[in-house]
Amino acid sequence: MGFFNKKKKKMESASSASTTPASLLQPENALKISLKENLQKIKEELGNSTDIVFREFRIGKNKSIQAGAIYTDGLTDTESWERIIKQLLELDIQGDSDNQKKATEQNFMDELNFSLNIGDVRNFTDFNMLYASLLSGETILLVEGYTQGIAISNKHWEERGVTEPSSQTVVRGPREGFSENLRINTALVRRKIKDPDLWLETKIIGKHTKTNVAVMYINGIVNEKLVKEVHERLDRINIDGIFESGNIEELIEDSPYSPFPTIINTERPDAVAAALLDGRIAILVDGTPFVLIVPSLFIEFFQSPEDYYQRAYIASLVRFLRFVAYGIALLAPAIFIALTTYHQEMIPTALLMNLAHQREGVPFPAFVETILVEITFEILREAGLRMPRSIGPTMSIVGAFVLGSASVEAGMITAATVIIVSITAICSYVSPLYDISISIRMLRFIFIGLAALFGLFGIIVGLIVMVLHLCSLRSFGIPYMSPLAPFNLADQKDTLFRFPQWKMFTRTRLINQQNVVKQQSPDSAKPEPNKN
Amino acid sequence: MLQKEKISRNQFAILVMMFTVGSSILILPSGLAAEAKQDAWIAALLAIAVGVALVVLYTALGNRYSTMTLPEYSAIILGKWLGKTVSILYFAFFLLLSALVLRNIGDFLNTYELPHTPIVVTHAVFLLVVILALRLGLETFSRSAEFFFPWVITLILILLLAIVPQLEFKNIQPIMGEGVKPIIRASIPFVGSPILELVVFLMIIPAINRKQGEKMGFLTGYLIGGTVLFLISIITILALGADLTSRETYPSYTLAKQINIGNFIQRIEAIASFIWFITIFIKLSLSFYASAFCLAHILSLKDYRVVIFPLAIIMLVLSIVAYPNTAYFLTFVSATWPLLALIYGLIIPLLLFLISSFTKKNVPKA
Repeated sequence: MGFFNKKKKKMESASSASTTPASLLQPENALKISLKENLQKIKEELGNSTDIVFREFRIGKNKSIQAGAIYTDGLTDTESWERIIKQLLELDIQGDSDNQKKATEQNFMDELNFSLNIGDVRNFTDFNMLYASLLSGETILLVEGYTQGIAISNKHWEERGVTEPSSQTVVRGPREGFSENLRINTALVRRKIKDPDLWLETKIIGKHTKTNVAVMYINGIVNEKLVKEVHERLDRINIDGIFESGNIEELIEDSPYSPFPTIINTERPDAVAAALLDGRIAILVDGTPFVLIVPSLFIEFFQSPEDYYQRAYIASLVRFLRFVAYGIALLAPAIFIALTTYHQEMIPTALLMNLAHQREGVPFPAFVETILVEITFEILREAGLRMPRSIGPTMSIVGAFVLGSASVEAGMITAATVIIVSITAICSYVSPLYDISISIRMLRFIFIGLAALFGLFGIIVGLIVMVLHLCSLRSFGIPYMSPLAPFNLADQKDTLFRFPQWKMFTRTRLINQQNVVKQQSPDSAKPEPNKN
Repeated sequence: MLQKEKISRNQFAILVMMFTVGSSILILPSGLAAEAKQDAWIAALLAIAVGVALVVLYTALGNRYSTMTLPEYSAIILGKWLGKTVSILYFAFFLLLSALVLRNIGDFLNTYELPHTPIVVTHAVFLLVVILALRLGLETFSRSAEFFFPWVITLILILLLAIVPQLEFKNIQPIMGEGVKPIIRASIPFVGSPILELVVFLMIIPAINRKQGEKMGFLTGYLIGGTVLFLISIITILALGADLTSRETYPSYTLAKQINIGNFIQRIEAIASFIWFITIFIKLSLSFYASAFCLAHILSLKDYRVVIFPLAIIMLVLSIVAYPNTAYFLTFVSATWPLLALIYGLIIPLLLFLISSFTKKNVPKA
């Protein structure tokens, strides 16, 4: 193990040394004086790609200055492109004669820069910058005789607007969800937290995709060590492409071999804003509506943003229900097998007679039967996700009638098994975050196996191992099972139960150590209706 | 080797509580009732009172050397070679204790839940979990004990409350009908196991995070554990009667069998066995941890994890060959074990404490 790690590290350091520092200040990457040469070079290096549009024209007082504009078709707003060209053609600007050039180069470029009435305009001097700007949708302006270019930001492309998120739906709460555009996503969060302390840092990850990744947190609430840790982990990523936050998640999580997720992803801006206020860090990735929140604890996978919009009693009750459902989804088939195979005495007599009657003529032992039905269900679930919409009803008929009723009537499997597996299936969809139910999807089979081998003893052994594993996990340094283990009394107000808002005075302790107070004195927080 | 991991005071108290309850919750009432009959609960009270004095001794010793484990300060107090000898003795004691605890669960499973499974297999499965726990370290392990604590307490309460309708007070009458002697004789095995076994915690004490204050919660944990054992003893006697309790090997299991609520919730003993699976797991892990730690210290290893696997194999065999059958074990635990435990649980720690008091070989507190 140690040997492999060492080798990996060596390879990493070697490859990073060869790529990073070379790119910026190489003379052959600087812009040339001649416009023709520059344009030629761009055409060659982009392989004459047909979506790159080149346009040459003359500007200035006597139309004496040769200039060229380049943009990527489809990524640029054509309307503003036309406006820019029009403006450039009407520009009343004096070119420099050759001998003055050196002294006034900056002046001319600045003047050109100022005279464009478009939002974001930047000067650049080398091809790397040029490609980065060009391929992210900016318009490039090059002028004959100058080794400087101008990048005009008039990006515009077709995209999905802000719509209701498809996962984590709520009855009460905001309906907006993140979209694929990083800028819109950061704006959605900023609309919720209008605080100068809401800080945003961007980095570019992916050798080829050059994906924008934003790190968002509230300065003063967040633990600075955590920010450093997040940056370190993100900087360590050395990969050719990032398409989704899932790529990043896998590369920065604490325990990659664990079946349990240690990073939450969400489509909901309100969930992200609440997490930021709690001292967490959000990682937004361009091109995906799923935002990562770190650190994330086990307990948080059972908390929906809606818990905080409903009244406290019902929120606590629903939360309790989720834990029960999680337990059922994890253990129901295993307990069923253990009881019917090893501990028949625990089943009430009437029920036992009923079960025994059902089992008559069924060819499989309970274990095989349960595994068969479970696998069938898993296949149905996967098929339901991928198949074309129009076949849906047919599939549900096949699933429900043919596999369910018919197989029971034919005496192949018992009705009890079908009931148990159906309950399990329903329960596994109760948790508000999909990721945590994936973990039990796998563990369920392990528990079924243990129950078949050792009965309830096997289940308990499995539970002990699971708890040991859960307690060994950390999410960005925070124990995954906190505030349950290590126990923290103050945080219990928002763990298994959701206390009323006016009872919650502090932020989560372990995540936030410096700025803990959420609201001031307990007396002023509680609503007191006027007695008169 | 040095104790580097840190656990909180609460975690330590929970470990003490779980260790005290340990395997005793299963076998204790039977031994008590065999000698003291209906006065078993008085014997339990007596033993718990004796235990308080012992816990005070361990606390004093642990506070005097708050950063060191037992083998470390015995080397300081007794000198290098005598200290090493003491360490080796303790290593053997802890290993034997672990093997016996493992055998307890194996015997129980073999009798009631998995009669057709070879005992080696159940031992090996349980041992694998313990190995995993030890590899993950004391911190993780204490955290999971903390996680299990509310479950264990809830289940114990359910067990005790659900049996209330079956209690009959004539079962403990007449009180002190046979005088004081049987009571004292009955309390001796209880003192031997688990109270004198608490010496294991002299290996854990330096791991307590002392930033929260000087107290370590040893007594609190012990008293909670003691209360649980006392309640189980008295309720078993009340529900089953002294005669049946003394005949059963695992009276608290029989107790759970008696539960019947509305003719529907009945025979929940398998769920009740969750309690002792957890507490025995904690007890076994702690004593195995102590023995591995001792061995690592004797061999001057940097990490105790290296010795876990070989020790586990030795323990697996030891647990099978330790005694031939349950009847042998019952005499062993009431006659032999208390004496053995007395040497390790009281005499050596007391000697260490006294010698260190006279020679003033104290270390400044870190």
